[in-house]
Amino acid sequence: MYNSRTLIRRERYIKSFTVFALLCFFAWTIFAVENMMASVVLALVITYLLNPFVNKLERKGTRRTTSILLLFVVVSLGLSLLVSLFYPILSTQIGDLQAELPKYQIGIVKLISNLEKKAQEIMGGYYSFDIIKGINTLIAESAGALFSNIPDFASKFLTVFILAPFFAFFMLRDGRGVVRQFLRMMPNNLFELALNLNYQINEQMGDFIRARLLEAGIVGFVIWVGLAIIGFPYASILAIFAALTNLIPYVGPFIGAVPAIAIALINKDPSIIIFLVCMTYAIAQIIDIVFIIPMVVAKIVNLHPVFVVVVIIIGSQLMGILGMIISIPVASALKLTFTALYDHLINFRS
Amino acid sequence: MADYLWDNIFRKDAKEKELITRLKENFLFELLSNKELSFIEQIVHVRTYRANEVIFRQGEAGVGMYIIKKGNVDIYAAENIPGQENQAETKVTSLTEGDFFGEISLVEAGSRRTATAATSTETELIGFFRPDLIELLERNPNIGAKVVFRLAEVLGRRLAETTDKISLIKQELVRISEKKRRKKDVQQPHSDS
Repeated sequence: MYNSRTLIRRERYIKSFTVFALLCFFAWTIFAVENMMASVVLALVITYLLNPFVNKLERKGTRRTTSILLLFVVVSLGLSLLVSLFYPILSTQIGDLQAELPKYQIGIVKLISNLEKKAQEIMGGYYSFDIIKGINTLIAESAGALFSNIPDFASKFLTVFILAPFFAFFMLRDGRGVVRQFLRMMPNNLFELALNLNYQINEQMGDFIRARLLEAGIVGFVIWVGLAIIGFPYASILAIFAALTNLIPYVGPFIGAVPAIAIALINKDPSIIIFLVCMTYAIAQIIDIVFIIPMVVAKIVNLHPVFVVVVIIIGSQLMGILGMIISIPVASALKLTFTALYDHLINFRS
Repeated sequence: MADYLWDNIFRKDAKEKELITRLKENFLFELLSNKELSFIEQIVHVRTYRANEVIFRQGEAGVGMYIIKKGNVDIYAAENIPGQENQAETKVTSLTEGDFFGEISLVEAGSRRTATAATSTETELIGFFRPDLIELLERNPNIGAKVVFRLAEVLGRRLAETTDKISLIKQELVRISEKKRRKKDVQQPHSDS
């Protein structure tokens, strides 16, 4: 009896250690290998977006691999069509923006300089910072970097866009099998917990990613329509930027509105235009808060707003914009894991 | 080298066949064709336990059922007496190859195990869990429906058995109270006199 118990305990320790070491190795690979993090995140997004459709096709009797290939072909064709439709508009707007970039650089400096003067008037001798000097250096550096980094960015972009669909294909086809192999290594006492956790995290992540992308898409579309109606320049670029920043909870919508308002101020647009631009962003946010969030997002992640902001700050410190976007799903997964582990190890074992 | 490789391939094949056979013998899966069983085989989990190893404890969260592929499992239950710590577990039953247990957790979300299950010999179990059932219903609803119907039948039978046991207990209680009343009636005239 004693021998058997010792053997069971030893086996559990070895299995737990092996699983932990494997998890650490995966985490290290994702963090250490160049482009791996972005590729894996994008692959997960593709997987969670396509999985319901793959299951639907499989239910109708199509083999899983055929279903995935079919969906990849359909999505690629759809994306090509979208790009061919919007490329002329986007490329014109990007060209215009590139040509007018120096004007906006000077405009931003002037805007901040005016603000600084007003702040100095109000605060008197208490205010002695020289923001303009710092901003000038920052703009000069980032403008230089924007064009000198293009080849590097293009190569990274290409790597991620080749790797991500490749990973997504295998995640969709063999993901369940890989998870089963991984679960097989779990010690018996933690097996059910791990299986259930994997299921819950998968469900939450899938719902979260699908809901956030739908939300970003709707917000981007509303902003695009609003700016196009006003006849505001760079409507498409600004809408894409707002949709992307909307993925960052709480602070994202504000960041998304900054370029449009700055452009309006620099161009010295009439007050009515500035008001309409602000209204467009406000309407998009009202639609988001009143309709989209209660229907699709709120029920998925129940994290306290203060916790969300802290998590976003940590994410941005660790991994920049990508960190801000993925910080919430990662925090939700960690919260779920710790709650389940605590319940299992403390409540039931006491 | 070649012998070793061929030997291994055949052994794996035999193991898979053994798993399908064991699944086909089970009440939940006995109506499924071999093709459908191959699908189930990809979903279930085979777990190996040493002798005297606990599979799950009473009160723990449970997410599914187990079918005994090889070996023996004892089921223990602790009586829930309020205010008493360290309640002793009594052996309720012993299960053997082909038997299954824990099926209530398969349908009840957030369920707790109502008994402790532990192996008495080296045991191999086939685990079939709630996430697996959901996956089955999502990917192949035809097989899923067949399994869910059989599962409903099992739970129905368990309910009928429990109802029978409760009626027996009720009858026994009535008989005991009748006996007590008669005993009292016999003692009453004697004390009156």
